[in-house]
Amino acid sequence: MAYSSQSAQPVAVRPTTGGRPAATARLRRLLPYAFMALPVIYLAVFMFWPLGRQIWLSFTRTRLANPNRSEFIGLRNYERLFDSPDFYSALYVTLVYSALAVVIGVAIGTVAALALNRPFPGRTLVRAILLFGWAVPNVAAALVWLWIFNERSGVLNSIVTSLGLERISWLTSTDMALSSVLLVTVWQVAPFVMLVMLAALQSVPQEVKEAARVDGADALNIFRAVTLPHVMPTLQLVSLLVAVWSIRRFDIIYLLTGGGPIGSTSTLIVKLRQVAFENHDLGLASAYGVIGLILALLVAAIHAAFNRRRQKGQS
Amino acid sequence: MPHIQLDRVRKSFGNAQVIPQFDADIEDGEFLVLLGPSGCGKSTLLRMIAGLSDITGGALRFDGTDVGTWTPSQRGVAFVFQSYALYPHMTVRENIAFPLLMDRFRKWHHIPVVSSFVRWRMMNEPDIVERTDRMAEQLELTALMDRRPAQLSGGQRQRVALARSLVRDPSLYLLDEPLSNLDAKLRTQMRSEISALHQRVRKTFIYVTHDQVEAMTMATKIIVMNKGEIQQVGTPDEIYERPANTFVARFVGAPPMNLLNVGIEDGHLSLEGCRWQAGHALPSEKDAILGIRPENFRLMPQGQGDIPVEIALVERLGAEVILGCRVVSEGNVSSGTLLRQDLLFVRLPGNPGLSHGDRVGLSYDPSKINWYSQATGVAIDTPAQGLPQSA
Repeated sequence: MAYSSQSAQPVAVRPTTGGRPAATARLRRLLPYAFMALPVIYLAVFMFWPLGRQIWLSFTRTRLANPNRSEFIGLRNYERLFDSPDFYSALYVTLVYSALAVVIGVAIGTVAALALNRPFPGRTLVRAILLFGWAVPNVAAALVWLWIFNERSGVLNSIVTSLGLERISWLTSTDMALSSVLLVTVWQVAPFVMLVMLAALQSVPQEVKEAARVDGADALNIFRAVTLPHVMPTLQLVSLLVAVWSIRRFDIIYLLTGGGPIGSTSTLIVKLRQVAFENHDLGLASAYGVIGLILALLVAAIHAAFNRRRQKGQS
Repeated sequence: MPHIQLDRVRKSFGNAQVIPQFDADIEDGEFLVLLGPSGCGKSTLLRMIAGLSDITGGALRFDGTDVGTWTPSQRGVAFVFQSYALYPHMTVRENIAFPLLMDRFRKWHHIPVVSSFVRWRMMNEPDIVERTDRMAEQLELTALMDRRPAQLSGGQRQRVALARSLVRDPSLYLLDEPLSNLDAKLRTQMRSEISALHQRVRKTFIYVTHDQVEAMTMATKIIVMNKGEIQQVGTPDEIYERPANTFVARFVGAPPMNLLNVGIEDGHLSLEGCRWQAGHALPSEKDAILGIRPENFRLMPQGQGDIPVEIALVERLGAEVILGCRVVSEGNVSSGTLLRQDLLFVRLPGNPGLSHGDRVGLSYDPSKINWYSQATGVAIDTPAQGLPQSA
């Protein structure tokens, strides 16, 4: 039997008619774009447009009373910003608040995760209770803490006075306000850190820890030589998230102190609200926002640099 | 080097008993292989010897001293894990040197900055550098010292794991299926490397595996385990030639030992309708299991030999051929009620040129057969042979 050269060509299994295969191929080519369209439109409308608008506004003189009438003034808003002591105060508060929220929140969350990483009776219940702070909505949490911090009827001062000490102005003294806000922040952030770190800790290979035990390592050595390097990427990621959230945090601070007293808890975002809605200066407020954005991007860049270094070390 | 004694060692996880009772004496310099199927408790036993798992009952003694409460490092053992368990963020050099660093580590070294400085200084100590380099040289890792485990092949990782366990010069080596993640060629190579290592260091090795080839090729003594219990203790030859029971007979050897459910009457043996005169000593039981290794069959022309068979399977392995045969009685091929298998396996050297459907006769070497009780599966003594050493 002779074989024609055509027999080597691919043969359509199912006969098709007209332009259907071409239409199907075109549809297949366009399908990924169709899937991507929704998130791209969402991001464009709800993120990039407002972001671009904010950056544009920061170069204009725009009043809240008439936001559609903007006058381009170049870097004038930034000049005003850098000449203002309020800006440096807000920047300082933001940096201190964010740094402490990261250090304390991540430290407490990690220690809690380490404690929960070993089995003990009632572990699931303890984990559920510890997660409570994270599960409560921010506004509800702030209102509850307002009551707890209340100088006359709050739980904290009732404990303080029962110990024979003077009442403390938790939210109304410049010495205590930032610490109080930080306390609530850590109360909210630490459970999230704990949850993420617990997942990371549970993925540490048991055999590597056992190998270290056989090699003579004690518990602390095992933690430093095996556990910590294994969870470090997660630790860095969670620190990045907490840092960015802290730079952006508004609700808890505003509801607890409104940025006071005397600006002692006024972060860039809280200050932005004041400039925009009390001073009616949308241009300057946008400049505050842009600085906040740059700060968050800087933190993300540091994280990316760490990530790159680690990946380079491993490859 | 310690003399290791396991005295009525038990292990339970909650209500589940994994090892009911285990007694063994392990001599200095021995290469002991714990052989058994998955889940038989051999790794658990190894972990108990290492101090990685608690002992539920009984005693573990090193040179007569109960070490049940000692930490793994106090026991001075080296442990090679199935997954190698290398430190992923450390280089090969740091992995090998880690046990040496831990030997010199003091509590105050935990102070954060001090710790980093001390580690750096210790890594540059001439003694540590010399021992690490020597170990790397022995295991041909010198060129890989600055790589991380992720950049190594399976065999290289295994060698790093071995180097890390060797560097401290321990008296006891515990290896938990260390070759099971390697491909066949590398496994063969590493097998000889581990055997050579044992020859060189002359220390006690306890090696856990479910692979009988590894056990047969490396061990000086094998303990066959099943369901946490010892089935047989012996040298590889004893285990292979005189299995203590049908479990060992079928577990050791590939293809496994043929176990024929035979009837015994008037000096004759019967199997599936065929009957032949036994020219050898027989057990006193009426029914017994006759065990014959595939290589102990002799091939005869059709109509000769003790057992007429038809060839149902031919596996050519190059230097030898494995035949799977069905017993033929009165002209018909039997449905086959051989114990736990349908086929009688025959191993022949070279290529006898047989193919599927050929009919031949089989005879066997009477000095190489084993008898087992049909009721218990335990070896039966016959006047001609002694009983193998069992648990």
